Amino acid sequence: MAATVLLPCGSNVSVKVHPVVLLSICDAYTRRKENQDRVIGTLLGVVVDNVIEVKNCYVVPHNESSEQVMVDVNHHKTMFDLHQKVAPHESIVGWFATGSDLYNSDALIQDFYSKESLHPVHMVVDTTLKDDKFSVQAYTSRTLALGDKVLATEFVEIPCDTIIGDIERVGAELMLTGFNDPSPENKKETANKSFSDEAETLAASMGRLADLVARASEYVDSVASGKVGGDPAIGRYLADTLALVPHLAKSDFERLFNEGVQDAMMVTYLSDLLRAHVALAERLGTAALPIM
Amino acid sequence: MAAPLEGGALRPHKELVKTVQLEGQVLLKIIQHCSEALPQLVTGQLLGLDVGQQLEVTDCFAFPAAVAEDDVEAESAGANYQLEMMRCLREVNVDNNTVGWYQSANMGTFQTLELIETFINYHENIKKCICIIYDPQRSSRGNLALKAIRLKESFIELSKEQKLTLKGFREANLSWRDIFVELPVKVRNSNLVQALVADLMPAPTATQADVDRLNMSVAPFLERNIQSLVESVDDIVQEQQKVTMYHKSVARQQQAYAAWLQKRRQENTQRLQDNLEPLPEEDPTLFKPIPEPSMLDNYLVTNQIATYCDQINFAASEAIQKLFMMEGMQKAGL
Repeated sequence: MAATVLLPCGSNVSVKVHPVVLLSICDAYTRRKENQDRVIGTLLGVVVDNVIEVKNCYVVPHNESSEQVMVDVNHHKTMFDLHQKVAPHESIVGWFATGSDLYNSDALIQDFYSKESLHPVHMVVDTTLKDDKFSVQAYTSRTLALGDKVLATEFVEIPCDTIIGDIERVGAELMLTGFNDPSPENKKETANKSFSDEAETLAASMGRLADLVARASEYVDSVASGKVGGDPAIGRYLADTLALVPHLAKSDFERLFNEGVQDAMMVTYLSDLLRAHVALAERLGTAALPIM
Repeated sequence: MAAPLEGGALRPHKELVKTVQLEGQVLLKIIQHCSEALPQLVTGQLLGLDVGQQLEVTDCFAFPAAVAEDDVEAESAGANYQLEMMRCLREVNVDNNTVGWYQSANMGTFQTLELIETFINYHENIKKCICIIYDPQRSSRGNLALKAIRLKESFIELSKEQKLTLKGFREANLSWRDIFVELPVKVRNSNLVQALVADLMPAPTATQADVDRLNMSVAPFLERNIQSLVESVDDIVQEQQKVTMYHKSVARQQQAYAAWLQKRRQENTQRLQDNLEPLPEEDPTLFKPIPEPSMLDNYLVTNQIATYCDQINFAASEAIQKLFMMEGMQKAGL
């Protein structure tokens, strides 16, 4: 019997990738050996319902020529064991390769990985930037069999998405704000800005929020004046959001405001007092002298 | 350039690390590992190169969660893990140089004795090593709480000579501020990665991070900070008491010694009268010198207090800014 790859519930599988994985793949591609065109490696992650979440990856050295392909299985197993010690809940969910197309040898590698995991996902990360676009595609494989003979393996594309967790968003935002600096030197590897001043980012956040609100109000204006057909779902959503803004009586608001400010000031005062105390103790040397 | 130091040994003037440059993927890996492992605190290794005054961190990997440290087997397992990982990474052309380690911290406190010991251990082999501290809880408020620290050179020398007492610190002209040095961190990405990042996040509109940052509730964070601050003050009072005890016991010892010496002298005059050998006036075994308590704990706690105060100040000033903005919006009739 030909081994068919069972897809969960037909082809409703989708893949979500963490940006860490993509960055690691790019980095590995930059570091590849001289005679290699592409880099392959294993993907680790978790499977929840029909969504495969790829959280981590590592590179596996391989050698491929037109006739055969060799994968360093030892390395793959060792790295997997090491990773299991750190994150025991992650399992092998597939493998990745850089490059823009599928190769013939991919079927063999896919076969190898299907022994490791139930339905391995093959991810192709286009590092050659074909069409001026950075594309990440995911495939899962299906064997085409005629009776008992396995003819070929077909790669079926499945939707692939990049997710940015809440926490990573902070780090990712930082990398992006650095990149938005006009830097015409494309050949040199430019260094991004250092972690900018904290107060500045608060102003930036407010700016962005103000932008959003301006866009929303523009939309509402244009709908009201009849230029754009209104979408009732959006209208309801906007109304709900506005209803969330608490409508406080002036005295209430003043009271809350004063309390908040007083709390913050008191805390600042206390911490400054403590700091002054410690500094004084140090200067006078009383921190180390017996308290007579 | 050699600079003569106390003890007469000539030591070459090493270039100190002044800045740290992280690759984007290292940043994301650290964030992912530390936030997923909450509430447990985790550590990992940093790999990279040092280029003059800048330390470039190009890769990192996580350590398995620490098991009981008394187990010799667990320690060798940890060392094995490190070796295996480094070997595998070498096969794929990753920089094989250890340049330090990272750890997650709770409420920004990292000033512990273990940290200093680890630093000194690392320092034996690698001269330029840093530690990256990441605070996952503070980052959930919208700011990236990551900093790189290293020990100050003078402090390392002082601890090597084991002179961590008050006198030692005074002589070397160090205060509690001079234990750690914070280094500025930069993030750098290769061109390919920059293209990727640009593709992933095209236009920066208001994101979840903005919403987190603009969150008005600052009270719980302040409460926790103040609680830890109060604990630190308790610690420092304890340390002070230790010093007091030391001084008192030294004074007591002196008194006892003086009394004993007098008795000895009386005995000796007696024996001289009896034409016997006088007993020695010193008796080292009876009065062992009491070791002076190390000032290191004291200084570490002071550092902690300083960190808490900084955090509180920052959070409070942020809160005030947000409140005033709210007031402005309220006045404008929004």
